[in-house]
Amino acid sequence: MANITAEGGAFALERAGQQAKVLRFFKLGDQAFHGLTLAAAVAILVMLGGVMVSLLIGSLPAIRAFGLGFLFTQAWNPVTERFGAMAPVYGTLITSFIAMLIAVPVGLGIAVFLSELCPERLRRPIGIAVELLAGIPSIIYGLWGLFILAPFLQQYVQPYVISAFGPIPILSTLFAGPPFGIGMLTAGFILAIMVLPFVTSISRDVFSTVPPVLKEAAYGIGCTTWEVITKVVIPYTRVGITGGVMLGLGRALGETMAVTFVIGNAHKISASLFAPGTTISATIANEFTEAVGDLYTSVLIELGLILFIITFIVLAIARFMLMQAEGNGKA
Amino acid sequence: MSLYTARRRKNAIWIGLCYAATAFGLSWLLFILLALLFQGIPGLMLDTFTQMTPPPGSAGGLLNAIVGSLIVTVLGVLIGTPLGLLAGTYMAEYGRHSRLSTVVRFINDILLSAPSIVIGLFVYQILVARMGHFSGIAGALALAIIVVPIVVRTTEDMLLLVPTTLAEAASALGLPRALVITKVIYKAARAGLITGVLLAIARVSGETAPLLFTALNNQFFSTNLNAPMASLPVVIFQFALSPYKDWQGLAWTGALLITMTVLALSIAARVLSARKTDK
Amino acid sequence: MSNFRHDLPQKLSIKNLQFFYGESLALKSINMPLYSHKVTALIGPSGCGKSTLLRVLNRMYDLYPKQRAEGEVLLDGKNILEPTQDLNLLRARVGMVFQKPTPFPMSIFDNIAFGIKLYEKLHKHELEHRVETALKGAALWNEVKDKLHTSGLALSGGQQQRLCIARTVAIHPEVILFDEPCSALDPISTAKVEELIDELKESYTIAIVTHNMQQAARVSEYTAFMYLGELIEFGLTSHIFTTPDQKQTQNYITGRFG
Repeated sequence: MANITAEGGAFALERAGQQAKVLRFFKLGDQAFHGLTLAAAVAILVMLGGVMVSLLIGSLPAIRAFGLGFLFTQAWNPVTERFGAMAPVYGTLITSFIAMLIAVPVGLGIAVFLSELCPERLRRPIGIAVELLAGIPSIIYGLWGLFILAPFLQQYVQPYVISAFGPIPILSTLFAGPPFGIGMLTAGFILAIMVLPFVTSISRDVFSTVPPVLKEAAYGIGCTTWEVITKVVIPYTRVGITGGVMLGLGRALGETMAVTFVIGNAHKISASLFAPGTTISATIANEFTEAVGDLYTSVLIELGLILFIITFIVLAIARFMLMQAEGNGKA
Repeated sequence: MSLYTARRRKNAIWIGLCYAATAFGLSWLLFILLALLFQGIPGLMLDTFTQMTPPPGSAGGLLNAIVGSLIVTVLGVLIGTPLGLLAGTYMAEYGRHSRLSTVVRFINDILLSAPSIVIGLFVYQILVARMGHFSGIAGALALAIIVVPIVVRTTEDMLLLVPTTLAEAASALGLPRALVITKVIYKAARAGLITGVLLAIARVSGETAPLLFTALNNQFFSTNLNAPMASLPVVIFQFALSPYKDWQGLAWTGALLITMTVLALSIAARVLSARKTDK
Repeated sequence: MSNFRHDLPQKLSIKNLQFFYGESLALKSINMPLYSHKVTALIGPSGCGKSTLLRVLNRMYDLYPKQRAEGEVLLDGKNILEPTQDLNLLRARVGMVFQKPTPFPMSIFDNIAFGIKLYEKLHKHELEHRVETALKGAALWNEVKDKLHTSGLALSGGQQQRLCIARTVAIHPEVILFDEPCSALDPISTAKVEELIDELKESYTIAIVTHNMQQAARVSEYTAFMYLGELIEFGLTSHIFTTPDQKQTQNYITGRFG
């Protein structure tokens, strides 16, 4: 300010005018940029809303035609236009359940190994290797599952399981033949391999939030490593781990390509886990481009809507729990 | 004393199981990579990169699929990255503690893990059904929607890591907020932001489901965005489920190509972020 | 330098102890006794190695691969630094109370019962009695007897620390190591804990690391002054704080450096 008043009158006015112009330009640019970023953030919400709304609109013909009964029919006949969601929904739930049954203990076991047992030098390479499992695209899993895993199971594993469980009452129906190789159990197994890196990665992160003093206190009383993990680390990180498991479940529910290759694509519910079935995403993937008629297409979109709602709920719960766990970690 | 030995035995058993779990997980990685190499390498000939996808029974290559994949992926990333970058910038800078940011973060994380086939259905509804035909641009849009949440997440995380003192120093010079962000903060977070884009590319390179009913597939060479476009994942899908041996061979080779791309991008992302922390 | 009494029984004898963090030497040839049923204070400025020394006595450093100890530490005549030493059993005999109160994420009752159940199979009534005794021993019983099944994390800082002491005492160790137990506590809780230490020495051998010299003077019978990883002086507390033998001890006590 002193400079400006020291210089001559007209020149000073011109400089002040230029300064004002630049400042106004800055301010406009600022407002524009601010508005742009705000619009982008809102666009995220609009995207989600858009997905829900368009799915709803697309499902309307099917909803009007079948109502709530849609969820409880196994029928699937494009010719007579009788459709039911029960087989796909059942398949989605069961394959995801099988996947979690395997992925949770294995994923947690690997997380425990990496954070407590692994020698320092091996920690990074093994950690990266496990993350690679998450990076492999699902179509690769599908391809491998169809051409490598399924034939292997069909030849070397399933026949023995079927005959071994033959005389045992409940297990014999769960694992009844014939050995196709593909089927619900195979699909669930491949999903498990895909999901376990997520469980491991989140569990590792949560494990590292446990204050070392707490672990030392447990060791100080003479606890063994396993006791420290089960009695102190896991209860402390319980919420975070559950969040990680839910996240994995959300992934498993929505997985398409890996499952489509090995599920067998049969629109029926069988008692045996070795039997073919279908999931929501597999049904859509297989049939959408061949769907003739508005009702058929609308039915598939309604299936997509159901899947979206289920995964939305599971993922929302997962996010909630992970947010809580992060809060505790910082506290 | 027997209680003590029981505890030690229990400890040994469960620790052993953790080792077993790790071996279990890693061995599947090995099996998959080995299968890819075994089955896919034989197909890595010049023809694969110069010939089109053949009808069953004849020799051919994957050129149209590779080019198509490149086009939809690049386009998808070009559309999705700016949107993700700007949204992440809002959440980290202008709206750091606002309610809106919390909500957007929540929704964004859900979109991050949402089933990609549902995204495909969405784009089908708004674009394909409207236009009356499948198109490459629809495929690119579907991939863009998958790219956005990834870029938002990494952008916000990376921008939050930039120390506030840096921003304050820039503001003290008289720079307006917009320039502070674009000229100073972006530069400081550049490695992290690029890492985010690399990870997004790695993720969408292998996505099949969103392309199934947006870009569909194309037997012939085409760069027309307004028409169906071939892509590696969809070609693999079609060829693998067919009964033809030569198609299946091409499917494996295509799978190998995708996996190598994804691995290379992941390694590049990792190297980049490691170099950043070394500074 | 040594004011060692040869007639007093030594629960722990430290002989030529060297300690390494990676390549750097943190403790240099420590020779020191811990007399039975006495309280020994370890004092010295920050970084002198007193906590490091304490953590050798229950081999807590074993959890960290880059840390190692050489020399001998004899517990009742047997060297605990040997690789064949069973660590869990050692820690059952040598307990530790940390600077930061660390209640486990369980109820108050379970915090105490947890340790007991590791080593003994007790009937429900016996277990309850043991927990009550431990809490009484830590002067916490009256304050928590009505809320035994609420979370240990809901207690105040001073109460949490007394809970940790009760937990350590419940498994009947022989030695208790206190690592700056009151530095996170208010003066009233501190007084309660010091009272407790005074009572505990009837039944246990105690070593306490403290940066509070007045506390050392109040609580201990023997004091070790350490500086830069060396034991400068060891002797009766009354002697060290009035007429120390070493100039460095004198300087520290009088506040010349801290």
